Amino acid sequence: MNDDHFFDLAMKVIAGQATEAERAELDGLVARQPKLKTEFERQQADVRLAREVLPLVSATQATTPELPAYARGRLQTKVRQTLGRPEASPPAGTDEQRRMMWRWRWLLGLATAAAAVALAMVLWQAPAPMIQVALLDTAGASRGSDAKELAGLQQTWNKAQVESFSSAEKAGAWETNWPGDGRRAVVKVLYDRPAGELRVLGRWKGKPFAKTFVVEQDFAAALNQAKRFIQEQTGG
Amino acid sequence: MNLRALQADDAAAWDDAFHWLWPVAFSAAQAKLQPYLPAEVEDVAIESLEALVEKVRSLKSVEELKPLVASIAHHRAVSRLREWFTKTRGGGKTIPLDPLGEGGLADCPDPVADSPPVVLEQKELAQRLRRTIGELRPPTDAIMMDRFISELSYEEIARKHGIPIGSVGVYLKRGLETLRRIWGRREES
Repeated sequence: MNDDHFFDLAMKVIAGQATEAERAELDGLVARQPKLKTEFERQQADVRLAREVLPLVSATQATTPELPAYARGRLQTKVRQTLGRPEASPPAGTDEQRRMMWRWRWLLGLATAAAAVALAMVLWQAPAPMIQVALLDTAGASRGSDAKELAGLQQTWNKAQVESFSSAEKAGAWETNWPGDGRRAVVKVLYDRPAGELRVLGRWKGKPFAKTFVVEQDFAAALNQAKRFIQEQTGG
Repeated sequence: MNLRALQADDAAAWDDAFHWLWPVAFSAAQAKLQPYLPAEVEDVAIESLEALVEKVRSLKSVEELKPLVASIAHHRAVSRLREWFTKTRGGGKTIPLDPLGEGGLADCPDPVADSPPVVLEQKELAQRLRRTIGELRPPTDAIMMDRFISELSYEEIARKHGIPIGSVGVYLKRGLETLRRIWGRREES
């Protein structure tokens, strides 16, 4: 038995690139020579290690992407704070002048903060999330229960138009197609009838969230749970 | 890159260093977070460079910078993943958001499993990484990446590097032995 041949065969099997014949050949070799089983397991462990370590090695050789402009300022601030470049000297003057100056600074700071809070209260109102709703039923959409469930979905999210899919592929494509510009939350609610699941997927402030609600007897209860979850995640 | 200038808080030197090290921090964080928390990659990269600032005075050579940044980013990314998994597992039934894209999870390492890069202390991880970079010589390093990251076949690797197909396995075997020697096996670490 040639060591190199066994190594190459095992590599192919571990990578899932072996043909049926190659897999059978490896099985036969291992059955005839039990020590090759240990060798195969060692090779599997080596590959796992390589898959963990090599991305780090590759990272040390990376030359892209570019440093974003916003990060530069934050990092330079960290340098100043940590490595202690001296701040500007305190203003000259008598103690009394300095005390007066601090009083004015304090008042000015307070006034600025109050104005900022007032402005924020006027301007800030969380935009309503964009909610998209769909139903997947691979058995067809003609049954009475479908109509009832469609109505439930429509009633819960009355501003959304409920889409119907008869194939998992189309529903999958819908689930991964994200609209919006990131300025408001986007939520997708899919009632997967064959799986008996109500799936909620969302993105808000750059973070994804997801939860699946199992629909048993009470569809309305699952709808309420999903609605509450969306409110918790988006504040809307 | 001038380490003394960095240690002396030279703003221009730090500016250069951040541009030079950002791709390293970003790529190391991305390697762990991309399938699960892609929105957190930049955040972890920034935090990693901030952490580097705190450690720079303990460094002795510029060659330590990249491995250290990669190891910091790796550790921070693993922590984020652990927090996320804990939170999602505790909050009811959840589904992963497109884990690893088309390929799924089959045959890929658990992102927070106790493998050597995960369990080693940051300093030790950086040292081993530096050794690996030094000992995994070209073209073995590139052939290993092509096989284990890009998942190219023997034929594709042979064509890409202009080597006989029979040599691909030789390079891979040598590379895996190097990794095993430097990193030890999971059960031995």
